[in-house]
Amino acid sequence: MNLRLHIWRQSGPDAQGMLKTYDVQNVSEHMSFLEMLDVLNEDLLTKGEIPVAFDHDCREGICGTCGMVINGRPHGPLVRTTACQLHMRTFKDGDEIYIEPWRARAFPVMRDLIVDRGSFDRIIQKGGFVSVNTGNAQDGNAIPISKKDADRAMDAAACIGCGACVAACPNSSAMLFTAAKVGHLGSLPQGQTERSTRAMNMVLQMDAEGFGACTNHYECEAACPKGISAEFIAQMNKDFVASAFGGRD
Amino acid sequence: MKAFGEIWRSNIFQKWLMALTGLLLVGFLLGHLSGNLLVFLGKEDINSYAHGLRTMGHGMVIWIVRLGLLSMFVLHVTAAITLSRRNRAARPQSYAKVTPRKSTVASRTMLYSGLLLLSYVLYHLAHFTWGAVHAGNYAGQIGWEYTLADGTLVPDVYRMVVASFQVPLIAVLYVLSMVMVGLHLNHAIASAFQTMGVTNQRLVPLIRRIGPALSFIVAAGFSAVPLAILAGVVK
Repeated sequence: MNLRLHIWRQSGPDAQGMLKTYDVQNVSEHMSFLEMLDVLNEDLLTKGEIPVAFDHDCREGICGTCGMVINGRPHGPLVRTTACQLHMRTFKDGDEIYIEPWRARAFPVMRDLIVDRGSFDRIIQKGGFVSVNTGNAQDGNAIPISKKDADRAMDAAACIGCGACVAACPNSSAMLFTAAKVGHLGSLPQGQTERSTRAMNMVLQMDAEGFGACTNHYECEAACPKGISAEFIAQMNKDFVASAFGGRD
Repeated sequence: MKAFGEIWRSNIFQKWLMALTGLLLVGFLLGHLSGNLLVFLGKEDINSYAHGLRTMGHGMVIWIVRLGLLSMFVLHVTAAITLSRRNRAARPQSYAKVTPRKSTVASRTMLYSGLLLLSYVLYHLAHFTWGAVHAGNYAGQIGWEYTLADGTLVPDVYRMVVASFQVPLIAVLYVLSMVMVGLHLNHAIASAFQTMGVTNQRLVPLIRRIGPALSFIVAAGFSAVPLAILAGVVK
């Protein structure tokens, strides 16, 4: 199939970017979206042009490195699918495809489709962990955890930190990401000790990074390649306010 | 320990304030609506109700409620403006193409429906409470007294409502504003519970259905009065 791509090109963090149009020919329907971009880049290189920079790593949909807004949707039109797992059979001959980087003040564009997601790391550093004494490994099942709680924690832990929630949110809010981390540890007994300070510190860091506030559009959960529920956002709201009035941070 | 000021300024706390004040304002709207519907029972009912509101607790209750409503409005509106400004700043460069999945017209236009409602509320107060606009229809004017069954002379609220809504412009403006209320609450009610942290899986689906249904009832209930008057059913 032949496609017309409109891709955001930006040479550096402070450079002025713009959408540039490229025509790609003979795209196989079996290619992944990123392979299609690889083919475009080969083509650009042979022509002596600068290839399109984009993030990618595992190409198996589990690492959270890739991410681009494809036709107005983070990771493209399919639900629960990362850009690397999106295949060209989803598109048809003659399609025009807009490809843009995640848009958020807290995700500055480094180059073309690559953004700096360091803000996520700084949120995690504020409380996305459980402090435990190291020593001998604990006996298995020493801490009873119900199947329900374990499942709930796992649902939240499925977050790969790709940033699609921020990209999809009309307010560039990082609530789903932060809520997944808060909700994951808050669902388990090991996470209770620091539960109050965790919610408080991670949320304040999220604000400091310049992410917007949630207005409950639920675009994030619809865009999340791991299908994380916005219910975790409600949980984080509750934890934060509980910490505000009763916390010992 | 974090200072309370830092928490107060945080996005979630501002959101929480909006949700809390918003739900209280919805509660007020339901009370207001139940009072308005007394128009359908007749002159005596609504006029004695209005008189009761003004004299309850030696006339203290109405001022306490007004003070509460004013502070809720101020908190709700300032939080809305603060958060909207931050939300805009959070995305300096917009997308060339956006394809929404779950957001609705109501959820995307909350700021606009809210600001329109704010301007309508001011006009509404200027009309029915202060008598500053459409003064010819104001219940407090001389010669418009109504004598209750117990002999008390009170302002004729019934006559004010009927005379006002017989003016098509006033009635249409009112109904349009109630459509705006419906649009605003369509997203607001369920959204407020999400912000307040309701996660129960039995309640959440229920709230997401009750919210829009209640918003429709409020909009339709308020609109029924001017429509009935305009149609000549109530006169």
